[in-house]
Amino acid sequence: MYDFQEQIGFPILTVLTFLPAVAGLVMLLMRGKPKAYKGVALAATAANFILSLVLIAYFDRYTADMQFIEKVPWISSLGVSYHMSVDGISVLLIMLTALLSLIIIPASWNYIKEREMQFFVAFLFLETGLIGVFCARDLLLFYVFWEIMLIPMYFIIGIWGGPRRIYAAVKFFLFTFAGSLLMLIAIVAIAYLARANPYATPVFDMDLLEKSIFSYQVQMLAFLAFFIAFAVKVPMWPLHTWLPDAHVEAPTAGSVILAGVMLKVGGYGMLRLCIPLFPDAVVTLAPWILVLSLIAIIYGALVSLVQKDLKKLVAYSSVSHMGFVTAGIFALNLVGIEGGIMVMFSHGLLTGALFLMVGFLYERLHTREIADMGGLAGPFPVMAGVLLFFTLASLGLPGLSGFVGEFLSLVGLFTYSKPLGAIASIGVILAAAYLLWMFQRVMFTKLRDEKWYKLPDLSLREIVSLAPLAILAVWAGVYPNTFLQLIQPSAARLTEKMAPYMAEGGSAVERIFASLGGLF
Amino acid sequence: MSHDIIAIMPELMLIATAVVILLVDPLLPVDGRRGLSWLGIFACITAALSTWFSRGEEFTAFSHGIALDKYSVFFKILLLVVAALAMLISEKHLFLKKRLLGDYYALILFATIGMMVMAEAIDLITFFVGLELMALSSYLLAGFFRYQERSIEAGMKYFLTGAFASNFILMGMALLYGLSGSTNYQEIGDAVRLGPIPEGPLVIAIMFILAGFAFKISAAPFHNWAPDVYQGSPTPAAAFLSVGPKVAAFAAILKFFTIMLGSQSDTWVPLMIALSIATMIVGATMALVQKDLKRMLGFSSIGHVGYLLLAVVATGDSGRTLGMAAVLFYLAAYTFMNMGAFGVLVHLANHNARFNDSLDDLAGLGKRHPWAAGVMTLFMLSLTGVPPTAGFLAKFYLFSAVVEAGFAWLAVIGALFSLVSAFFYLRVIVFMYMRDSEQTEEKTDGKSWDLSLGLGIAAAGVLLLGILPAPVLNAAQDAVVKLLGN
Repeated sequence: MYDFQEQIGFPILTVLTFLPAVAGLVMLLMRGKPKAYKGVALAATAANFILSLVLIAYFDRYTADMQFIEKVPWISSLGVSYHMSVDGISVLLIMLTALLSLIIIPASWNYIKEREMQFFVAFLFLETGLIGVFCARDLLLFYVFWEIMLIPMYFIIGIWGGPRRIYAAVKFFLFTFAGSLLMLIAIVAIAYLARANPYATPVFDMDLLEKSIFSYQVQMLAFLAFFIAFAVKVPMWPLHTWLPDAHVEAPTAGSVILAGVMLKVGGYGMLRLCIPLFPDAVVTLAPWILVLSLIAIIYGALVSLVQKDLKKLVAYSSVSHMGFVTAGIFALNLVGIEGGIMVMFSHGLLTGALFLMVGFLYERLHTREIADMGGLAGPFPVMAGVLLFFTLASLGLPGLSGFVGEFLSLVGLFTYSKPLGAIASIGVILAAAYLLWMFQRVMFTKLRDEKWYKLPDLSLREIVSLAPLAILAVWAGVYPNTFLQLIQPSAARLTEKMAPYMAEGGSAVERIFASLGGLF
Repeated sequence: MSHDIIAIMPELMLIATAVVILLVDPLLPVDGRRGLSWLGIFACITAALSTWFSRGEEFTAFSHGIALDKYSVFFKILLLVVAALAMLISEKHLFLKKRLLGDYYALILFATIGMMVMAEAIDLITFFVGLELMALSSYLLAGFFRYQERSIEAGMKYFLTGAFASNFILMGMALLYGLSGSTNYQEIGDAVRLGPIPEGPLVIAIMFILAGFAFKISAAPFHNWAPDVYQGSPTPAAAFLSVGPKVAAFAAILKFFTIMLGSQSDTWVPLMIALSIATMIVGATMALVQKDLKRMLGFSSIGHVGYLLLAVVATGDSGRTLGMAAVLFYLAAYTFMNMGAFGVLVHLANHNARFNDSLDDLAGLGKRHPWAAGVMTLFMLSLTGVPPTAGFLAKFYLFSAVVEAGFAWLAVIGALFSLVSAFFYLRVIVFMYMRDSEQTEEKTDGKSWDLSLGLGIAAAGVLLLGILPAPVLNAAQDAVVKLLGN
């Protein structure tokens, strides 16, 4: 048992989770002090980022056990407890969340003109919800945080978004809420089915649920309910339609968090809940999910290719990249799962950076149409260099973080099935195509407007907000072991859990037919 | 003191206060009447305290007319909270509308007494007396703004449908009495369970009573009066009418169906399922198209009745206490969020003479009235069922009961309509924060500490029940373990 008392001496997960929300409440009470609240927001997110590094420092990376455990009864008559703990996967994603939340504060320092304070407060509450999801070890607590992060994002898109913001915000909310409600019912159902006897309290503790065995039928239904909720978040084709709308309308900082962390919550949920709780259903449905992932990879890439709006292009590229996440995870082998997690991490860094770049460009040019740009490398040489770096990283240049994740994920997929792996590889080529073409059209070709020479290149503030992302992208590309070590024991535990269920062999096509038999 | 007096001590306090208010009122100038609401509120507080101190007691009084047990205590305190909140949000509104009369508070107190009797009754006659006391006072409250046509119309409509519904219940009760030879719940329950009782008349009795209750709680297809009445009534009265009578009616429904007619669950469960689904459909879809906020909240309350009926379905086997506890907890959550939402409307009407309850009037509210918009957001999220609010835990608890009783498919339907309802609750938030207002306010001095306090209590209740629900949840669970005299 890794109790927080023994490991670090104070409830670090609770502090990490609620520090931003408390700072947000303090800011709400600071009405009338216009400048101070930015400082509070910056201080709170910086403190949280440092705490997340402390968490990693104290984290025991040689075990798959849950660590920094905090457990107190919450609603005891229902068997619900306030149970927080982390493993390597959560730690990595918490660090990513804390980092991106810190970065967006300086990045939107001057960007928001209206209701500035509420903007920062919304982000602080959002951070609480996100970190809470990664820490929660009780299903109901997980659900609570899962929903809590929905509200601030809804406001961020709806209040500070673009012209069609209300449509985008409501669509975002309803899509996610639809998935969540199904999940809620599945949560209730498995909590009651996992009871030892009809008079016992329901079981919401994930530790105990992982030990329970559900019937095949229950597994299939509950898996689907959970999976749809997560697939909306990821988003998997064909549940992705809210994403381009949300991204295009959201303010830059909203897009960064949305793409950088919120999409990962879906992948995280699949790893944390779908696979450990419903192994039988996973084995039956994995080939289908892989097919959907491949569609997402190819479809996302093709659609990116034809986008006219820079932000939409990055948004659709997320659909493609997140396809590698689900493909890696549901290849159900160690390499694949590690690859999926690495893609999540790397996509968080790189897409976050790309959205920031799009935002910086927009602040200068007041357009996101690729056709309106061109030749920007002249007036903005530094920006061109930085964008080139993140573009290359995103298309999977070896030595940068994008490569590691996609490579591992593809290896995992090839191990599972060669044809599927081959198809997924096309996505990598397409990624190079749409990203490089985008870069060419934006930065090279003929300069469209001489006035742009009067506009400033990247400012120090902007470079500072991009630098940590670039450093981590290089780090994860050159020496991925730092990060792989963190997630390796947890990924291994998942594959061990799946091993007994993976007996049936055969090619992917055979498995799909076999699973058809299982369905009917 | 005899047991009888102890049992109805809280009711006696309310009656005494109501009579004092009625007597004092004509002697006071209009300004002096402003303290009368606090007289009523103190009566509610003392009555609630005296109920609270009797929570350990378990006995029946008035020769098995009423039962004092944890169940009654839970409902009586909840109803007193409803009454106190209603008085808190009323005072300023009545003053501004120049109808600040003591009668209003007396009527609320009388209605509350009726509701409390409905909740604690274990005898058909006693129950019916409570029902009528509640109903007659409610009709008057709905029509209290007698110089407004809409208010009179509301009162009239409420009276006609309400009287009709009471007759249905009375008819069913008469049949039950004829079949079992008793008016006592327990004796009727025994007679029905042990038989022999002719099947036909019993089914008809059940259908009559169910239809009557469906009118009272505004379950579809007996719901059409509710939006009209809420729209026409004075807003604070609508707040009271959309909560109090439903709470009391559900207290009685559980006693009638789950306990007394538990052995006949094969008959009433399918009917209740049909009612519940119809009610959820009507509540969610009709609310989508409303432009008037009071009508919207009216249909929203119909939707919530649909969920509550789901939990009643889950109590089908009389051994299942989870469903009953879910009803109790849901009613507590519903009290705070619905009273709160109506309270915000009262607040806005007090501050803006042009406010006519339309959705457009909310545009830009986030800037004009940040606090009101903030708590309204909280209430809307709670009505949607988003954590960490009371509405979420109530819905979660309710779905638990439904799933546990083996009706997972019903829970899925409930979830579906809760998604539909999210759309119109969100629209309120959209208007408040994401639209700018086009029209200007006609500012009136509507500042009222009472109202702010009421909204604060409602908001605190929504948050507390959402974050630390254990005390109320345990009280609800204790309340349904053992119902006396059944």
